[in-house]
Amino acid sequence: MSVLHVVFKVDGAEYVLPASDVLQMESFSGATPVPGAPAHVAGLVQVRGRVIPVVDARRRFGLPALERSLDTRVVVGQLGTRTVGLLVDSAREVLKLDPAKFQPPPPLVVEGSRGFVKAVAQVGPRLVMLIDFPRVIGEEAPDGDGKR
Amino acid sequence: MSEVLVVDDSKVMRDMVVACLRPYPGLNFTHASSGLEAIERLSLSPYDLLVLDLNMPDIGGIEVVEFVRGQDRLRTLPIIIVTTRGDEASRARALSAGANRFMTKPFTPDAILAEARGLLEEKPA
Amino acid sequence: MTASVDLADFLPAYLAEVEELLDSAHRQLMAVEASARRGAAHPKSVRELFRALHTIKGLSAMVDVEPIVSISHWMETSLRQADQAGGRLPESSVEPLMEGLRAVEQRMRQLAAGKDASPVPPGLLERLEALGVSSPVVASTARPSALLLDETLALAPRLTPTEREQLTSGAGHRRPVRVDFIPGAERAARGITINSVRERLAALGELVKVVPVAGPAPGGGSLTFVLLLSTDASDAVLKEAAGGEPAQVRALSTAPSAVDGPSVPEREPELEEEPEEGRRSSGTLRVEVSRLDEALERLAALVVNRSRLQRAVVDLTAVGAPTRELRAILQENGRQLRDMRAAILRLRMVRVGDVLERLPLLVRGLRRTTGKAVRLELEVGDAELDKAVADRMLPALVHLVRNAVDHALESPEERRAAGKPPEGRVRLGCHANSSGWVDITVADDGRGVDAGAVARRAGVPVPRGPDDLLELLCRPGFSTREEVTSTSGRGMGMDIVRRIVVDQLGGELRLETRVGEGTTFHLRVPLTITLLDAIIFECAGLRYAVAVGSVEELIEVEAARVVRPAGAHGVALVERRGQSVTLVSLARLLGSASAQAVDATPPRGLVVRQRGELVAFGVDRLLGQQEIVLRPLEDPLVRVPGVAGATDLGDGQPTLVLDLNALGAARRPGSGGREERAT
Repeated sequence: MSVLHVVFKVDGAEYVLPASDVLQMESFSGATPVPGAPAHVAGLVQVRGRVIPVVDARRRFGLPALERSLDTRVVVGQLGTRTVGLLVDSAREVLKLDPAKFQPPPPLVVEGSRGFVKAVAQVGPRLVMLIDFPRVIGEEAPDGDGKR
Repeated sequence: MSEVLVVDDSKVMRDMVVACLRPYPGLNFTHASSGLEAIERLSLSPYDLLVLDLNMPDIGGIEVVEFVRGQDRLRTLPIIIVTTRGDEASRARALSAGANRFMTKPFTPDAILAEARGLLEEKPA
Repeated sequence: MTASVDLADFLPAYLAEVEELLDSAHRQLMAVEASARRGAAHPKSVRELFRALHTIKGLSAMVDVEPIVSISHWMETSLRQADQAGGRLPESSVEPLMEGLRAVEQRMRQLAAGKDASPVPPGLLERLEALGVSSPVVASTARPSALLLDETLALAPRLTPTEREQLTSGAGHRRPVRVDFIPGAERAARGITINSVRERLAALGELVKVVPVAGPAPGGGSLTFVLLLSTDASDAVLKEAAGGEPAQVRALSTAPSAVDGPSVPEREPELEEEPEEGRRSSGTLRVEVSRLDEALERLAALVVNRSRLQRAVVDLTAVGAPTRELRAILQENGRQLRDMRAAILRLRMVRVGDVLERLPLLVRGLRRTTGKAVRLELEVGDAELDKAVADRMLPALVHLVRNAVDHALESPEERRAAGKPPEGRVRLGCHANSSGWVDITVADDGRGVDAGAVARRAGVPVPRGPDDLLELLCRPGFSTREEVTSTSGRGMGMDIVRRIVVDQLGGELRLETRVGEGTTFHLRVPLTITLLDAIIFECAGLRYAVAVGSVEELIEVEAARVVRPAGAHGVALVERRGQSVTLVSLARLLGSASAQAVDATPPRGLVVRQRGELVAFGVDRLLGQQEIVLRPLEDPLVRVPGVAGATDLGDGQPTLVLDLNALGAARRPGSGGREERAT
């Protein structure tokens, strides 16, 4: 049984998220920075009336920043009751993937991705990586203010 | 952006005026519910158009016009009077005090929009 | 370009305002009657009554309710004469005026029930008209005023004889006083405006006249409001009511015998018997929302105090003091504060049913203009909504109901042909769910939205689902009809509906439609919203908002007067009225990327009081003051101290609403307790 996945690109690599976790994809025209928020938070955007935080995938993955372009997208994901955006280089494809085809990530990927990649799958010649969305978004309280 | 000050003690009336002028692009509206408040606001920040009722609780629209025209800074501020008092005497007094246009309620949205357009556009930007 | 404004949209608001005006008119007329019976004048009430009718007349003309225009016109005419006669109205005039008010009221009820206003009752206009002609114009009993007004200000000629009399003939210990109020931007930002000052002074005595005087004023202003009143309040109290410095209070000198002298005793009874206007029998009270907000602010101060108390108790406990009883009281106190907050918030709730009671009228009007048979069903029960939300929602609901009748419902013939009952149905349902949201549905049994037709009109592919279809309908100016209809103007206004529900209120809007069966709009809005009077400013290229109430003063920062102590990174001192105030660069505090560049002195400062100490936050530009809807940030990623939430200033981008107090406390270098952020 195949499941729909949203494919997005960050620094040339292809990542996927189950489409059921994705509310929508939006083009990006800048976020309002929030002083004091964790470094990987690009800021706030308004998506259909909701004000949501956007996590910059490049910053999160420790990659150099990229000038935003027409391809830049915010993948709006649902995480329980939270709605959070992920800023990626581009996102324009939906793939049907069989969950059984996912393999544990090779050690090199685990190391390079700081644990953000849960699994990988080979789709023809392409390797797509299933990301651990909650981990990428991060749940840490911003100020280390006694919580955790 | 052009700043418009709408002065009327009736909130519905102010809302109607704003709704009528809304189709004109680039207007920003401030409300004042009394003549005194209008004078206060005019003294604190610049406006490009004043829409003014005549009959208000504290001081009347004519007094506001007289006050405005007595100030160098406000001498060229376009003023539209919007009133229920359609008599010639009121019109003459308002215009001679220095109001630019005099409109009698009821008026149509198009009519006030046209007056505002005229005043805003004849004014050097 | 055609204006897409229909003044009939204002009918509900019109009815609400006229109802208030009628309330006031009734009270004033009763007061006038009480005075008239004693043959006394009551200038204030006559004036108010006149103005209420004048406003009713103007508004009725705008929304085209001819019978009310006629009635109020003739009432106004007779009252103008009474006003010119110094507020004297013959007792015989009261009854026809009462009759006039009743006639207006009756027509308001007809309009509210969705009927036409019936024509003016026979004879009424004639009776009212006769008042104007027959009432004897009594010359004002002007006595030479003993008041010595400052002639250089040319105030005296502006006072009518009646006003002079009011000023000098104060009963009891009242004395004539002149209060000078100088308006200013920073005073306005603190809510000290001519409106608030006038209101406060009016509560302290009889406010007779306010005269604006242009010209240099103390404190650097260019305008002075001179308020003349008769009062027994002390100078200090009056000055405080006028916002303190640079306001001035001066007693007006009067000739020795003018007050309490033997020449005025016959006036006394009249002034004693000011009618109790405040008393109302219905058990309801109209309260300005701003007063409730003020109560909430006071409550916030109590909450802060409580946490200080709590810390003190913790300290006591730590050194072994017996604090069990204290802690129990504190706990109880915490609960009471929460209850009180809830109680105050409840005061702002209005019944949804009350808000919507004017919709039947709208539908009735539509029935007439469209020729369609429509039944409106309101199923709103006892649901309540914050007044601020209700006020914003109403136009959206009016739009939806209007669209339903105008676009969705078919003509009776079409409906019959489709096997439907000829009368269309629009149902508005509302219920509050437990989680702080209110669900509202607007459903019709009309033709449904044909996605294919919509797509063709918009020149786009057929939308895949209801969400995409709604997106299309919400395009600004989109219309499903070729010709412009008189009721809905050009577009369907769905963009406006979405703007209110989604962007302004942070709610949700969904669409459900079946071709041939009908359309339902589901709206979800928050039960309550936080409105904030905010100062908008720019700092390091970004806009921010901050609550007006939290800012003590706005100052200009002159670079030449800023002192930078060595080694105090970014902190400087600036002089304000002989006092030195800490100046903090807000850009630096916010960790702005260009913070180095802004070490140049920021030109404006927002002065905030932190634990008794004044701190100025340097910003680049002040952009103005406006009411905003505060949207709290709920996600833990962005819940940071110093940021109260976000708001939409109309550009579709969130603008941060700062809490300067918390921001300073959390990040001020050397404030202890918290470390500075590493980035």
